Amino acid sequence: MNADLIRLRADIERIDRALVDLIRERVSAARSTAAAKRAAGLPTLDPPQEAAVIRRAAALARASGLPAEDVRDVFWRLVALTRAAELAE
Amino acid sequence: MIIVTREDATSAMIDGIREHVESYGVRTQAVDQDGRVVIGCLGEADRLHAATIAALPGVADVTAWRTPYRLASPALAPAGGRTVVRIGDGARAVAGSTELLVIAGPCAVEGQQMLRETALAVRRAGAGALRGGAFKPRTSPYSFRGLEREGLRLLAECRRDIGLPVVSEVLDPRQVESVAEHVDVLQIGARNMQNYPLLCEVGRVRRPVLLKRGMSATITELLLAAEYVLAAGNPDVILCERGIRTFETATRNTLDVAAIAVLRRETHLPVIVDPSHAAGRADLVTPLACAAVAAGADGLIVEVHPQPAAARSDGEQSLTLSQFSELMAAVAPFARAAGRGLSASGVAREGRAA
Repeated sequence: MNADLIRLRADIERIDRALVDLIRERVSAARSTAAAKRAAGLPTLDPPQEAAVIRRAAALARASGLPAEDVRDVFWRLVALTRAAELAE
Repeated sequence: MIIVTREDATSAMIDGIREHVESYGVRTQAVDQDGRVVIGCLGEADRLHAATIAALPGVADVTAWRTPYRLASPALAPAGGRTVVRIGDGARAVAGSTELLVIAGPCAVEGQQMLRETALAVRRAGAGALRGGAFKPRTSPYSFRGLEREGLRLLAECRRDIGLPVVSEVLDPRQVESVAEHVDVLQIGARNMQNYPLLCEVGRVRRPVLLKRGMSATITELLLAAEYVLAAGNPDVILCERGIRTFETATRNTLDVAAIAVLRRETHLPVIVDPSHAAGRADLVTPLACAAVAAGADGLIVEVHPQPAAARSDGEQSLTLSQFSELMAAVAPFARAAGRGLSASGVAREGRAA
């Protein structure tokens, strides 16, 4: 296989590993947030906060030259993942 | 609820409108239409207050949904008005463009030789993609139910060697990933049109989906089935009219030609027609194909077999290889009259030799 392609695929694998680590970190942070909300007597589900997270992600994507609509989709999936983790706490 | 933004609305205003709606737990989808952004609210609209939204900066108009489906509705059509689905590398198979997409091949993959022979012949005649069932839903459990994984392997081999993208049916949510590894388009058959776990699963993979209308399904039910796939995240849905059950027994099903025209108005998704299942008889396939193209279909999916009399399924409605060439010639003037080209044939001829 072409040496450049091997190197580029290794780069993608490194980035994927970092992404999974970041997702794990995000889930862990969400679990802590769930505990903090419970301690404060607040509901676990917070749609306005989720909407603000998505808005921020879309704005960051746009500023980075990424397609904001696709990044929104990715973040809705991340939000769903962390929401499930919060509810499981 | 559909929110039309002002032409001079900034990105920050549009973000603000969407954040407002989403703060009520209602997802949104935005599309650019004629210089303005249209935001579709996809959840339970009764949570939203129209007057409040109308007063937000950047909002020009707020209207209620006219249809029960949202993402499939023309209100959320992409720029250009129609969804264009690219199949495989997209060079020779495109649904929803000004070119007619013709998908042809055997009902079921029966073996390597018949599949290759059929693929070469349909490519030569101008087909843009190859169809072939590996997993076959049959009315009787004792009928031939396909070569299953071996069938998928043969389809993938054909795709590699002959250069035609392939379309094959998936029956079970558990099969979706493995079928998607071997084919370019995941077909949901008529019997599974309302198999919601299956629709959600094909919505999660990024492979175009060919969704056949259930034999007793209304057009609205078809569009709501498509909505499941779209809502799960897959925008590449091709609808397929394949005939519905009526009192008429002269044909296997009754081709609902009106559905083509209705769907062209009611959705931005491409619409193709399966004249083979509608007719159930080889001698009626070409006239029905011509009618479908004249009525505005974006494409056709046709059953073709080197020896229909020896076919292990649906032989009576399969065209021979030469009959398929005749169908392509017969359809061409109707395609031209409907403003469509058949250039896939030219591209296919330039494809890799087998």
